[in-house]
Amino acid sequence: MSASTDDASVFPPRGRGALPQPQLGALLDFARTGVGAVARRVGRAACGLILPAFVLAAWCSAAAHHWVPEQLLPAPASVWQSLRELWAAGDLQSHLGFSASRVAWSLAIGGSGGLLLGFGMGLSRTLRAYLYPSFNVAAQFPVLGWVPLLIIFAGIDEGLKISAISIAVVVPVTINTLKGIANIPPHLLEVSRVYRFSLAQVLWRVVLPAAAPSLFTGLRQAVMQAWLALVFVELLASSEGIGYLIVWGRQLSQPDLVVAGMVVIGAVGVLLDLALRWLESRVQRWRRAAF
Amino acid sequence: MQRRTLATAFSALALLGLTSVPASAEDKPTVIRISFPGAGTGGRPLSGGSFPSNAHLFKEIDDEFKADGIRIEWKFFPGAGPALNESYANGLTDVAFGHGDLPLIVGRATGLKHRIVLSSSRFGSSYFVVPAGSTAKSIADLKGKRLATFKGTAGQLTLYRWLDKYGFSDKDFRVISLDNDSTKAALATNDIDGTNITPFDLQARGIARSILEIRDDPKITRPGTVWVGEEFEAKYPQIVQRIVTRLVKVAYWSTQEANREKELQAWATSGSQAYVDYKKDWESVSDLRTRINPLLDDYYVASLKNSIEETKKYKLIRKDVSIDGWIEPKYLNQALKELKLEDYWPQYDAEGKLKVDGRKLAARN
Amino acid sequence: MNETPTRAPLRPAAATRRIDPRAFALPLALLALWWLLTAGGWVDTRLIVPPGNVLRVAARTLGDPVFWQGVLFSVARDAGGFAAGALGGVALGSALGASRLAERLIGPSFHTLRQISLFAWLPLLSSWLGYGELSKLVFVALSTLYPVALGTFEGVRGVTLEHLDVARVYRFSRSQLLFRLILPAAAPQIATGLTLGLVYAWVATIGSEFLLANWGNGLGNIIIKGRAAFNVELIIVGMLAIGAIGTSLNRIAARVEARALRWQRPPT
Repeated sequence: MSASTDDASVFPPRGRGALPQPQLGALLDFARTGVGAVARRVGRAACGLILPAFVLAAWCSAAAHHWVPEQLLPAPASVWQSLRELWAAGDLQSHLGFSASRVAWSLAIGGSGGLLLGFGMGLSRTLRAYLYPSFNVAAQFPVLGWVPLLIIFAGIDEGLKISAISIAVVVPVTINTLKGIANIPPHLLEVSRVYRFSLAQVLWRVVLPAAAPSLFTGLRQAVMQAWLALVFVELLASSEGIGYLIVWGRQLSQPDLVVAGMVVIGAVGVLLDLALRWLESRVQRWRRAAF
Repeated sequence: MQRRTLATAFSALALLGLTSVPASAEDKPTVIRISFPGAGTGGRPLSGGSFPSNAHLFKEIDDEFKADGIRIEWKFFPGAGPALNESYANGLTDVAFGHGDLPLIVGRATGLKHRIVLSSSRFGSSYFVVPAGSTAKSIADLKGKRLATFKGTAGQLTLYRWLDKYGFSDKDFRVISLDNDSTKAALATNDIDGTNITPFDLQARGIARSILEIRDDPKITRPGTVWVGEEFEAKYPQIVQRIVTRLVKVAYWSTQEANREKELQAWATSGSQAYVDYKKDWESVSDLRTRINPLLDDYYVASLKNSIEETKKYKLIRKDVSIDGWIEPKYLNQALKELKLEDYWPQYDAEGKLKVDGRKLAARN
Repeated sequence: MNETPTRAPLRPAAATRRIDPRAFALPLALLALWWLLTAGGWVDTRLIVPPGNVLRVAARTLGDPVFWQGVLFSVARDAGGFAAGALGGVALGSALGASRLAERLIGPSFHTLRQISLFAWLPLLSSWLGYGELSKLVFVALSTLYPVALGTFEGVRGVTLEHLDVARVYRFSRSQLLFRLILPAAAPQIATGLTLGLVYAWVATIGSEFLLANWGNGLGNIIIKGRAAFNVELIIVGMLAIGAIGTSLNRIAARVEARALRWQRPPT
């Protein structure tokens, strides 16, 4: 019978057998794998940076050699400088603040509306029968389709922006809440019935924890949709906000402002995504501990 | 020996041939791309209000170059002046008919190179308009409220001048950037509280009303500009001359009283301003030459300089702009000489006051 | 132990056959309210137009060939951009999924750029490519690229070692490996990505028609003309058209997805 190469008694690992003390060997092994692990991490990060570095270099030379007219492609240095100037003047913070507050309000309004709808339709058959078909049809409607009508009714001010973004938020929140509730293992609900939980207890002890993953997915999608809708309405008509900054840059032939705005939008998007993932992992950990 | 003479003869001929090529006819473009910084309602490819618009509406330029087989590509930009700058930066435009002061200066500040050959319009009335239901009677009543202007266009500077005249700055209001169509819609739905726009049609429809009017004030309005790209001018100076001469001819036609109705109606086809707007707005103009004036006189130059100062003051440009080498009057002068119109148009001084009156015309019937 | 269905019962097959009459209660109530408000004159009828007017304008618009021309143009833009974006997305997703190296190099940039809200690209795109068809098509393609690439990436990632062993046994060539094994194995996720991409493509088409308005053809242009003429009825009709087309596109996509995946046996 042949031995597998994994069999340590037959095929001792190289090097280790030579050392007199097994503890030192273990230490060295740890150092090797520990350092290796770190090195691998750093290597992976560096790998990911190769492409952006290359693009940045190409961008710099394109701007320096005017392959694209300078009125249309700003030099990276000028984008950086514009960002710093905006930050120093406080403009960046105030514009961001406006955009962020719009998103926050819409998340609150649309989010609570979506949760209500989702829970209502998920838990009650009757509500589901009345509301779900209409909701399904309305959900297929792209948010942007609502905007011309909203402009007529809500104007072009905050009302428009918050209502448009709230609509964008309601849909993913409702859909994911419904999905979450639908995926609750039925035996959990049976258990709660056996223990005669009140409605509040059912919601808090059973439904929320079980539906939590879907709720988080819904939240993440909602944030993404909210940000998408925000940029759209701010590009359409606004007097402050990040989208406004981009329009201003465009109208005054300052493409560095346009790119700066894009960078800020991307950065905020990344931060929001990371924050939500972190929050979700914290909640998940608590969940695992509970079970 | 014979071979050498032959060779010399050949080389002499070749030399002759080489040197004779530039002396022959200048090459012509196959297409001339002329852009208007604006468009009609809904983006319609029409414009109005000036004699360059007439040149398009009455097909003057197309006629001029038809015999040479040169096609004219007319471009209209709902994005107005800024969009024209982008088009020129992309190399998609050769000539601009009627660029406003702000986008013109911004373009030069960002490195666009063009040559000013004519002025396209000047003076004109400016109105401050509020929604019909508004109770505001003055600009002070609107402090802190929403004003609309199309940012990046000459209208933005006009609004700032209005505010300045009454002692306010743009920071005292919330200024939203809207194009013409959106501004009208916003007035109708009370989404903005004030703007500069011609009010007559809107008043007739009960949508808005004008609360203030400034008529033909050289400090509030600025002349428009006709320019040609530097490269285009260097390559085809003859073509540029023909364009300018034809435009001056159109300008002359446009100042004839007999043609007033015809051009007002033609302008109204673009839809961005109604016929009644044009008619009422131009009623106070007894001599069309006050507004339809292509001269690059002292007033034009002083206006341009003032506009540059304003753009710097309002931090709308980041690099300084100099006038040196920008204005090229030789084409205009040649055209005036050719058409015997040197004394036809009134000339204004730097303050906007009449310096030299135009040729006496026959009495208006 | 785990009895949860793999697909949430949001589309119970039986219910679609027998339509619950209660579904109509809400829409009818809203319609009645709308009619009542306008008939009673309690709202500004220039803004909140009576439903009768909307129906009238709708009938007129549906008979107008210019309208259908606009619809055709918009749908064509959608289809063209979607096709380009889908092809690119599948290619990109496969590359990212199949090659560790590609994922390390391109992955981080891809995921970061994804965070830049789509419409933020539009001003830059339009200043480079103008307001015409090209910039709209590129924008729609870009909007489709991301969801499709993501779906393909996840699908290809899910291809297990056993699959590859089979390929090695049968000595598949590179292209056979791709088309006979990897793509079919990843098909469900690719299909999800494509469906999402279709939704985004339509949103991008309409959005670009609004933000890059030019004197062209399209549903967006029709609505803009409606705005310019204060024709609220036309705006509503346009909106309904956008919704109808969006819904039908989704339906078609779902049908095609179900048909294409029919050969897949449900996971045991």
